Amino acid sequence: MAKWGMVIDLDKCTGCQACTTACAMENNTLPGESWQDVLFYHQGKYPSAQMKWLPRPCMQCENPSCVHVCPTRATYKDMDAGGIVFVDWNKCIGCKYCMIACPYGVRFYADEKPLLEPDLRDIFPGSNGQLWSPPYQNPEQDWKRGIGIQPAGVVSKCTFCYHKVSKAPAGTPDLDEAIPELKEYVPACVRTCAPKARFFGDLDNPESQVNRLIGDKHGVRLKDHTGNKPQVYYLGAGAGVPAFEPKPRS
Amino acid sequence: MNQENIMKGPAGIGLLAISAIVLLASFGYAIASLMSQGHAAFNATSTVPWGQPIATYLYFALASSGLGLIASLPLVFGFRKFYPVVKRCIFLAFAILISGMAVLALELGNVFRMLWVIPLNLQIQSAMFWMGVFYLVDLLFLLWKFQKLDAGEWDSKTSKQVGIGSFLAVLLASGNLALIFGMMSMRPFWLDGLLPIYFYLTAVASGLAALVFFTYLAHGFSRDNMSAPLRNLLEGALPKFFGAVLGGTLLFIAVRAITGMYSNNPEIHLVWSEYLFASPVYQASLWLGIVLPFVLMLTGSMRNQAGTQILVAVLVFGGLFAERFFFVVGGQVIPLFKGTWEWDILSYTPSATEWSLTIMGSALLFTLWVLGERLLNLSAMPPSAVMQEGPAAEAAAHA
Ligand code: SF4
Ligand code: SF4
Repeated sequence: MAKWGMVIDLDKCTGCQACTTACAMENNTLPGESWQDVLFYHQGKYPSAQMKWLPRPCMQCENPSCVHVCPTRATYKDMDAGGIVFVDWNKCIGCKYCMIACPYGVRFYADEKPLLEPDLRDIFPGSNGQLWSPPYQNPEQDWKRGIGIQPAGVVSKCTFCYHKVSKAPAGTPDLDEAIPELKEYVPACVRTCAPKARFFGDLDNPESQVNRLIGDKHGVRLKDHTGNKPQVYYLGAGAGVPAFEPKPRS
Repeated sequence: MNQENIMKGPAGIGLLAISAIVLLASFGYAIASLMSQGHAAFNATSTVPWGQPIATYLYFALASSGLGLIASLPLVFGFRKFYPVVKRCIFLAFAILISGMAVLALELGNVFRMLWVIPLNLQIQSAMFWMGVFYLVDLLFLLWKFQKLDAGEWDSKTSKQVGIGSFLAVLLASGNLALIFGMMSMRPFWLDGLLPIYFYLTAVASGLAALVFFTYLAHGFSRDNMSAPLRNLLEGALPKFFGAVLGGTLLFIAVRAITGMYSNNPEIHLVWSEYLFASPVYQASLWLGIVLPFVLMLTGSMRNQAGTQILVAVLVFGGLFAERFFFVVGGQVIPLFKGTWEWDILSYTPSATEWSLTIMGSALLFTLWVLGERLLNLSAMPPSAVMQEGPAAEAAAHA
């Protein structure tokens, strides 16, 4: 089985948020429930200030702290699914311990105050156990893997678009949207990225493009000191997270 | 002595009625808002997932553990002076734990699912799994121990064994509860291998506050209504012990604050400087809820007065509740990996629904406690032979 990994080249990323939008459309997430997001950081002062952006999916950690803490095994790492970390919505009790334990802040409890008004959950009230039921939905639903629209009271997160990548022919080293016969299997964020800053492939295959990029361009994992060992690597200048600083007090 | 328990009379009926009304009203409000809005009725969010209901649960669970530890003083360690409060301690520990669990149940996303997914999946890696196991064992031991004492078995071999079992269950339950936080390296404000010790200490402090308050309340806030051994305890060992535990609590807070402030890690020192010490509520709860009670308990003449003890108990209730709240929220206020979306310390203030859960838990505690005082004999003491110290007394007790 492949070990799916993602590579994000920050020298190419323009911070356009197309990936964020594509993810929200693909996975029917609510505003604020950004399984994929582009974070912005700024440092320094004009005229030498720097602005960084950092696309951020779930890192599908090799040693995922979210999995270690989950009391119900609702959150699990599936080695038969390329090492993707899933949430089984039939098992999750909504204790939110995984959200405490994930160092990357990429898990969501959508049963919270809406980010934007009007609340989409009021406009499209949930049916069939869903938290909300918009008229256009991805037909792919797999609650055992946290795919589709979740019920109330559970945690959701990025699935590396498992409903797509799982259909790729076995042994494919890279899922590259530029190859016409593979494009349907490419995660939505990767497929949509206009400057082609995102790559997706098999980290267990030394020949894969993702491994070559990591090797040639000195790929790094963010917050590597946590020991979570992400399956998402970053390339290019600015691959790092500045330490937290509070807003200057007036 | 029970004739002087005012809870057995009309005062008890009055308090029972008030507590039951508050319980129903707060439960009704919480359920209504949860049914209509789901957990959007909470102000906890994906960035601060654990809010006041978790802090309330923590407060209650630890107060219960504290009471369990106090009950072990006579039952396990032979501090016989504590016998007069032991039944009340155990009953209160039970009632507070049930109240805390009720609050937690309404906080979880899918509470009933817990009943089958936890036993069927046996995720022994998770500290939260062990929390369920240990607190369940703790609850069963409390009931068993209470039943033994209620049957008059103060000093039998089984009651001693149950006492030891219960003591171990309390240590495991509250120590593991500490590690739920203490093992989180990604939340450096909590990360601390000694957190169980801090939890034991503060658990006993909140347990003593509850014990003092409810013992006085049962006796109409008057020592004249109390039995002689109980009066002796309240004028001697108990206030000294309370003072010492408050001192230990302060020491722990000071050490955590000093290491936290000194640390370069913004995820620790900013929590202290920009969140805890910057909050007037935290400051007030620290100075009025922990430092002042400690000062009041320092001199013998002050600490032995009933008025001081009641005041200290009430202040410590508030002080330690705030301590739990700021501890739980403090571990989450530095946003993880959010960039400029969250470029300041996160803020969290509980919503009306979250407050209603805290009120509901407290009302449930009062309701259960008054029922306990009315239906059971919580002031019961062992026969005088067991009460006396020394080998002769022990021999007499076994005879
Ligand atoms: S990034 Fe967070 S949610 Fe994703 S696998 Fe790692 S610990 Fe779990
Ligand atoms: S919220 Fe759900 S997935 Fe997360 S730790 Fe709790 S049970 Fe597991």
